[in-house]
Amino acid sequence: MQAGDEKALAELYDRYTPLVYPVALRILRSPADAEDVVQQAWLQVWKGAAGYDSRRGTVAAWLLTVARTRALDRYRSVASRRRAEEKVDPEPATPPEDPTASATQRQMSDRVRRAMQGLTPQQRQALEIAYFEGLSQSEVAARMQAPLGTVKSWTRQGLTRLRELLPEEEWV
Amino acid sequence: MSEHRDEHLDLCAGYALGSLDAADRQRLEAHLAEGCPECERALADFSGATVVLAASAPQAQPSPALRARVLAAVHGEGGAREGAAPVRGRVIEMRPRRQTVGFAWVWAAAAAALTIATAVSWNAASRLREELASTRGKLVQAQRELDEERRWAAVLNAPDARVTELSMTPAGVAALRARATYDPRTRSAVLSFENVTAPSGKDYQLWALQGAGVASLGLIKADASGRAVLRLENVGDPQTLAGFAVSLEPAGGSPNPAAPTGPVVMAGKFGA
Repeated sequence: MQAGDEKALAELYDRYTPLVYPVALRILRSPADAEDVVQQAWLQVWKGAAGYDSRRGTVAAWLLTVARTRALDRYRSVASRRRAEEKVDPEPATPPEDPTASATQRQMSDRVRRAMQGLTPQQRQALEIAYFEGLSQSEVAARMQAPLGTVKSWTRQGLTRLRELLPEEEWV
Repeated sequence: MSEHRDEHLDLCAGYALGSLDAADRQRLEAHLAEGCPECERALADFSGATVVLAASAPQAQPSPALRARVLAAVHGEGGAREGAAPVRGRVIEMRPRRQTVGFAWVWAAAAAALTIATAVSWNAASRLREELASTRGKLVQAQRELDEERRWAAVLNAPDARVTELSMTPAGVAALRARATYDPRTRSAVLSFENVTAPSGKDYQLWALQGAGVASLGLIKADASGRAVLRLENVGDPQTLAGFAVSLEPAGGSPNPAAPTGPVVMAGKFGA
């Protein structure tokens, strides 16, 4: 590999890992598992195995898709192992805020949190359990005891609202 | 053909979020495969919103050792692409770029690819690099074609261009039509013909009328509808070029390269 390529990967890693790693951690709740997944995701991206279509979204969205898929796969295999061992843990608490985050990161993270608070509780919940727990829309509907059509509306309205509250141009 | 409906936008949201049930996903993918600009736009928008949702995960840093591990692992791979596992699961499967026609798409794709390349210094991921190279190739090709069109449009629009409608000679066929535009500055000419489908075993041949003599400008090959447009360089000296003539020759053209042997069916002189 050429030196320039390594430098490019290092830049990419530094730029996007702060976005990708927390998602893996939120899904898996285990730093060791989350790091494994992030490493696998970068390798997969590097090998060009995951196609990228610039019309469908940004590089950030693409990297997130790759990492989230791997994290959910890992989560499901861990969960099925646990079920087999009949040692179902209660859902662990959300990890605390990282004290070493930069001021810019913290500011962005505040804006994101405010945008999330701009959603109705149902919209927020429908998005969060679909995204971070990997539930399909019909599974979300069963969990929230709501009709499938309503979950579809919450999903669309929620994403539309997020986009309005925090347009891409304003991302730091 | 599935027409775009509002319901498709619901599906796009679920698709971007990676939470569509299989049947819905297949329905949307079938719709997208037919090409739907509204849905493509919506997907890009919803995908941006999904990034915001992702960013709402509590901030956390991996151990510094992970960075070294990732770089070392990639180094070990040497950027190899063989045997790489495809993305699984029901989240957005990024689709291969569809074959698309038209310049507008090429420009848009080039702009997008270049923006991304600049934004992330993505020198290395071979997929993007290839995409960029191919986009640049298409762009160069499109630019060349555009330059070519402009060049010939300039002939037609040249202020001192000489124009002539070729008219029938007594030997001609009533339906034949032709118009010639000659730009003396570049010595180039554009000639357009209608109904120049030659009878079987024959060819129409174009001649430049040069002073007292003629010079062959080649055969006129019409398309299926009998039309032909010739774009010719070095048509002749502006001092001596008087006009054009068309003769009907044996297949392959006049046996005498210096003069028509068959009947002259059309001719036109500048300023005549």
